[in-house]
Order: sequence, then C-alpha cells, then structure tokens
Amino acid sequence: MPLEVLLVEDSPGDVRLTQEAFRDAKTSINLHVATDGVAAMAFLRREGDHSQAPRPDFILLDLNLPKMDGREVLAHIKEDDELKTIPTIILTTSEAEADILKSYQLQANCYINKPVQLEAFDAIVKSVNSFWLTTAKLPPRANSG
Amino acid sequence: MGATIRFLTKRTVQFAFGAAIAILLIVAGFAYRSIVISGENGRWVRHTYEVLENLQELRFALEAVSSSVRGYILTGEEAYLEPYHAAGLSLEQHATTVRELTTDNPVQQRNILVLEDVAVAKLERADEDINLRRTQGIEAASEAIRAGPGLHATVEYAAIVSQMQDEERRLLVLRIADAERSTNRLKITLILGTFLGLLITVAAGWSVQRDNSRRETAEEALREGERKYRMLVDGVKEYAILMLGPQGEIRSWNPGAERMTGCAWEEVAGQNFSRFFSADDVSLGRPQEILRKAAESGEYEEQGTRVRKDGTRYQIRTTFTASRDPAGNLRGFSVISRDLTENKESETKYRGLLEAAPDAMVVVNQSGEIVLLNVQAEKQFGYRRDELLGQKVTNIIPIGFAERLIADDLRSTEDASAQQIGTGIELIAERKDGSEFPIEIMLSPLQSAEGTLVTAAIRDISVRKKAAVVLLQKVDELKRSNEELGQFAYIASHDLQEPLRMVASYTQLLSRRYKGKLDADADEFIAFAVDGASRMQRLIQDLLAYSRVGTKGKELLETSSEDALQQALANLRGAIEESSAVVTHDPLPPVLADEMQLTQLFQNLVGNAIKYQNPGVPRVHVSAARNGGKQWDFTVKDNGLGIDPQYFERIFGMFQRLHKRDEFAGTGIGLAICKKIVERHGGHIWVESKPGQGSTFRFALAGSQARS
Repeated sequence: MPLEVLLVEDSPGDVRLTQEAFRDAKTSINLHVATDGVAAMAFLRREGDHSQAPRPDFILLDLNLPKMDGREVLAHIKEDDELKTIPTIILTTSEAEADILKSYQLQANCYINKPVQLEAFDAIVKSVNSFWLTTAKLPPRANSG
Repeated sequence: MGATIRFLTKRTVQFAFGAAIAILLIVAGFAYRSIVISGENGRWVRHTYEVLENLQELRFALEAVSSSVRGYILTGEEAYLEPYHAAGLSLEQHATTVRELTTDNPVQQRNILVLEDVAVAKLERADEDINLRRTQGIEAASEAIRAGPGLHATVEYAAIVSQMQDEERRLLVLRIADAERSTNRLKITLILGTFLGLLITVAAGWSVQRDNSRRETAEEALREGERKYRMLVDGVKEYAILMLGPQGEIRSWNPGAERMTGCAWEEVAGQNFSRFFSADDVSLGRPQEILRKAAESGEYEEQGTRVRKDGTRYQIRTTFTASRDPAGNLRGFSVISRDLTENKESETKYRGLLEAAPDAMVVVNQSGEIVLLNVQAEKQFGYRRDELLGQKVTNIIPIGFAERLIADDLRSTEDASAQQIGTGIELIAERKDGSEFPIEIMLSPLQSAEGTLVTAAIRDISVRKKAAVVLLQKVDELKRSNEELGQFAYIASHDLQEPLRMVASYTQLLSRRYKGKLDADADEFIAFAVDGASRMQRLIQDLLAYSRVGTKGKELLETSSEDALQQALANLRGAIEESSAVVTHDPLPPVLADEMQLTQLFQNLVGNAIKYQNPGVPRVHVSAARNGGKQWDFTVKDNGLGIDPQYFERIFGMFQRLHKRDEFAGTGIGLAICKKIVERHGGHIWVESKPGQGSTFRFALAGSQARS
C-alpha cells in the first residue's frame, strides 16, 4: 500500500527533484503537491476539489510559500485536532535560527535544510523513508523535536 | 612651657628670699629678746652685788662704832669719836640703801628692820657709854660696858648681816645661772639662724643662677630666631620690607628696599618714610593719612608713586600692617612694597608673547573691558586695535557667555577659572560686520598690577568645525555602506544559493541518469557542469560564512576555548580519521569569545593543518600561553608543508590560494574567515613558518575576567 505524502512547495524544480529523489529511493509513495499554504490547507481539510484527498501519512512543508507561508500552515495543522497527529517535516533553505526555533515551537516534528547536493537529498529521503515509514506505527502524537 | 618654668622659678626665688628674711627677722627678734633678758639678769646680778656691798658696809660701820667708842672710853680723847659719828651716818645711809634695794624681797625687808633696830639700840648704848665717860670717868664707863649687852648685841648684828648676805648670795647664784642660760640660748639661736639664713640664701642664689642661665639660653634662641628672620628679610630682593615707628620713622631696612629706593640703611635710619613721597603727596598729607588708616584698620593696602634717591619716580603697591603691644599701644608698622614698574617691563614681554601666539588673544580686566589684544584678534574680529581697547568684551563674545566669564572668572578667580583652564569652550563669536563664526575659547587668570585679568585665547574653529561635520558624515556613510555591503554579501550569497541548487541538483541528476547513455562528449560536458556548480556552491557557502562573521556574530561571553576546540575536532572527525592525524592540545583557558566563531576558528586552522600535509602522519598541537597582558596567545602548530614567508600576509586575504585546485581543494576563504573572527574579537592572527618545516598559526584573544 503506497504511502500518501503531501509536499507543500512552490518551486517546481524542488517539486520535481523531490519526486525524482523518492523515485530513485524506490519508495512506494503517492506524492501530492500543494504549491501554496492555502492549497495545502484545502487539501488537508478536503475542501473544494480536494474532497476525495487522502489523509497524508506525513507532510513535507516548505517555509517560504505564497499566500500563506509555511509557519502559518504549520500553526493551522497543529491547532487542528484532526491534523495535528500527522508528522510534519519542515524542508527549507532558511538557516535562520529564529525560523528553526519558531518551527519547533509550532511542534514541527523535524527540521531539515534543503540539501545542496543531490546525494545528500537522496540520503535524507532514505532516512525519512526508513524512520517515518518503515518503523513501527507512529504514535498518534509524535514528540516534538 | 618656657614661660611657665621661668614663672615658677621666679616664684621659688621670691619665696626663698622671703623665707630667708623671715628667718633673719625671727633670729634678730629672738636675739634682741635674749639681750634684753641678759641685761635684766646683769642688772639683777649687779643689784645683788650692791646689796652685798652695803651689807658689808653696815657690818664695818657697826664694828667701827664699837671700836671708836672703846677707844674714847679708854683714852677719853674726842678724836676717837670721829669714826663713831661717821659710822652713825654710814649706818643710816646703807641701811636705807639696802631697804630700798630689797623692796622686792620680803625676807630681807624683815631682816633689815631687825638689823636697824639692833643698830639703833647699839648706837643708843654707845651714846650712853660716851656720856658716862664724860661725866663719871673711865671706871664707870668701863663698868657699864662690862655689864651691858655690848658683845651680845654685836654678835646678833653680825648674825643678821650674815643671814642677809647669804640670802643675797643665793640669789646671786640663781641670777648668774639665769644669765648664763640666756646667753647660751642667744648663742645657739644666733648660730642656727645664721646657718639657716645662709642655707636659704645659697639655695636662692643657686636657683637664680640657674634661672639666669636658662634665660640666657632662651635669649640666645630668640637672637637666633631674629637672625634667621633678618636673613630671610635680607634675602628678599623683589620686595622692600621695612619697619616704621608709630610716627613713620624708619627702623629697619632690607636689601629690597635699598634696591628699590637707591638708599642705603645708613642714609635712611630714623628718618621719616615720607621722604620717599613726592612733594605733592607730602603736602596733601598722604603719608600721615596712610599711617592713620593702617592704624585704624590694622592693615592698609596702598598703591602710589614714590621718588627714588636719584629723583626718578616709580609705582609701588604697599601693604602697611600696624604692630601693637599686648596692651594695644601702637608700636609701629611693618611695610611690604612691590615695585610695579618692573611689572610694566614684564608686560612688554607679555605683549611680545601675545603677538607670537597663533590664536587671537584678548586680555580683559575686572570690568569686562578689553585691555590688551594681539594682531590675530584684530584680524579675526575685523576691528582695529583702537576700536577694541577699552571696549566691553561683550562686543565680540556672545553676551550671555561674556557675562558669565566675567562673573565666574573675576568673582573668584582661582576656583572658577581653574575649571575652565585647559577645557576649551566652543562658542559663536561676532565680527565687526555682524557675521558669526565658531570659536574655541580658553581662559586663564593673570595676576597683574591692575588686579586679576583674564586672558582669553580665541581660536577660529570654522574650518575644524566644517571638517568635523564632513568627517562625521563620511563616517556615517562608510558605516552605512559597510553595513549595506555586508547585508548585500549575505543576501546575494543566500539568494544565489537557490538557483545554484537547481543547477547543481539537476546536473547531478543528469549525470546520474544519463551517464554512458549519451556520447562521451556529453558525459564530459555534464561532468564539468557538475564540478562547476559544486565549486560555486562551496564558494557561496564560504562567502556566506565570511559575511556571517560580521552580520551574525554573537555577543562575546566567557567561553571555554577547550570546549570550542573539542567541538571543532568533533566537526572534523571525518577528516581526522581519514588522514589518521594526531591532534593534541594543552589545557586551554576560558576566553571572551563567540563560541560558534571560536569553534569555526579552530576548525579552520586545525582543518588546514591536516589538509596541507606531506604523506605521513599529520601532527597538530594546540596550546595557549599568557602574552604578558590580559591576552592569551593561542598556537596551532603542525608538521605540514609550511609556507614561504612572502605569503604570510597574502594567505589571510579573500580567495587567496597557494596551491592548484587539483592539489588541494578549497575556496581560499578559510583563513580570511579566521582573520575576520579574530579581529572581531579584538585580537590579531599571524603565522610563523618555513617551507617544509610545518607552520605555526598564532592568534591572541582577550582572557575572560573570571580567571585572567
């Protein structure tokens, strides 16, 4: 049974790269893409076109997004009883400490800088794959940090 | 103290003399009394002798009566009766004397009465016998004598006289003893009194002598003090110091006075000081007026004209101080004078100095009037000298300030001006044409003959002011552009990363998916593209790191440099293991540092030390030592390639590399980052090395307060 993953990312290059990386990692996933925060929330709440959307097994969330940025999206997810148990991984180029701190305060499950080397990206996808997807069933509410 | 001693001594001496006189008086009184008593005794002794003598006469007289009567009776011659007549008178006379002499003695009075009775009876009997011889002849008379009581009466008479004589002798012995005792007492008294008197006199004399020698010492000290005072007064050449009598007669004179007046002491001694006043002053009674004022108020300061011996005139300022004895009577005046003419000469010199000064100089008197100024002042303010002299200083210096200047500076010259001296005050001044310009003014008090003056050094600081403003602007601009540049570098490198990541990632994806599926050229091109993108990524990352040193630095806190090194070694674990490097270190001190940056510093230096190596085991040693001050010198020493001294400076520059890329990878920014980190910490970094003999990188950092 393939995993349902929501990728919230506005850069097509990164979207494609993520897709390719998961493909190369031979992971059986269904990658859903939302290109802004509003679309991401609509997907998660199954609003409009997304009425048939599956509940993702985890979310990859970029911080810098149009319309509604990643921090707001994260806050909405963690405020929502339905959604807050979904593991959320922040995936960003920002190395600003304030961003990192804020993300953890908002109960992000993991914070990963977008790697600059493809190999490094591969490694991250693999470790995410093994940690989040192949280990025992995740607790309803993952520990923050 | 000395006075007390002298006073006590005086009292002692007075007391001693008093005691001596008292003793002498007592002795004299006693002696007088003894002499009086002795005289009395003598008189009594003489009295006794007299009584005895008279008694003896009484006895002789009676015996003479007996023998005279017997002679007449036998011879019948009348001549024999003469002694009898005489004896009769003698008896009566001596009996009376004895009775008178012994009135104080009842015993003798009784005896003399008995004796007189016996004598009267004897004489009556003798008369009867004589008459019987005359009338009845010798026979009858002889018979009467034989029958009569003649002999018995004579014996009784003699016994009474003897008894009386014995009484008198007894008294004599008593009286002589009395007299002797009295004489002895007198002798002892005289001897003791004389001795005591002598003793006290000697003691008093010694005391006086000692007091005198002490007084001599005190007088010697006084003379010595006076000699020193004289030396002092005589040593003063700039001031005339003299003493005047109550009427102004000159009593003392010092060399300063001689120099000032041209008169020697011999010429002026005892003369009135008015001789140095001008005829006008004398006729106006100036000298007397001065003395009167000085006597009234105790001290009087006077400034006036005097005339020298050669007739020339000079200005002096003189202080007259009245001198009074303890009773308040005027004894005279002490006078101290200063020749002001000499000041005029120094004023000329002062004017020369003023003109030589590069600043405008203005001298102001107590009324705020300009009394002196230099050419620079004329130029600066645009006035001519005669337009300013005598004018209020407020004409050229802002009113509020000028008033403060005068108030502060002249009211209490010393304190008020002291705080302004050396600290220039910046003000706005006004030229003659009304234009204003900025000045810096420095004030200093000047004691002169006309009282306290204020010298103001005024500097036109328009140019400096403008320069300062320009400088501040430049500094601001520089700071802003520096900040912008840092921000730009950071933003640029950060934003460049994003598209570069795309290029790098996709060329890598291309390479991975299509290597060997296209032709050989395509493979090579893709390889170059991948390599270029990677290098560019590293460059940007390093550039970012470099700009972060300035823009993202943290506060300098007490940091364990040992912990920072450990963290750096942990970050370098891969490289260390790969090269089998041996990294050692001494205990390292706490320092004031940004821990992240200190870690990066160690990481770069140790990383370099491992990287630039010959084949073999890289050895790196980190240590720290005090450099004498509060700083620590850190040393990172390796056994690597070493560096040619000509590159010592260059290696710390941006993108400076000494090796080809295919020898050693790197962007040439690591040491530039090190330099920037160390400089941000207020230290400096340098290298010591010889090619082939390893390198030693050193940097100095401030120690933390805690253990430094």
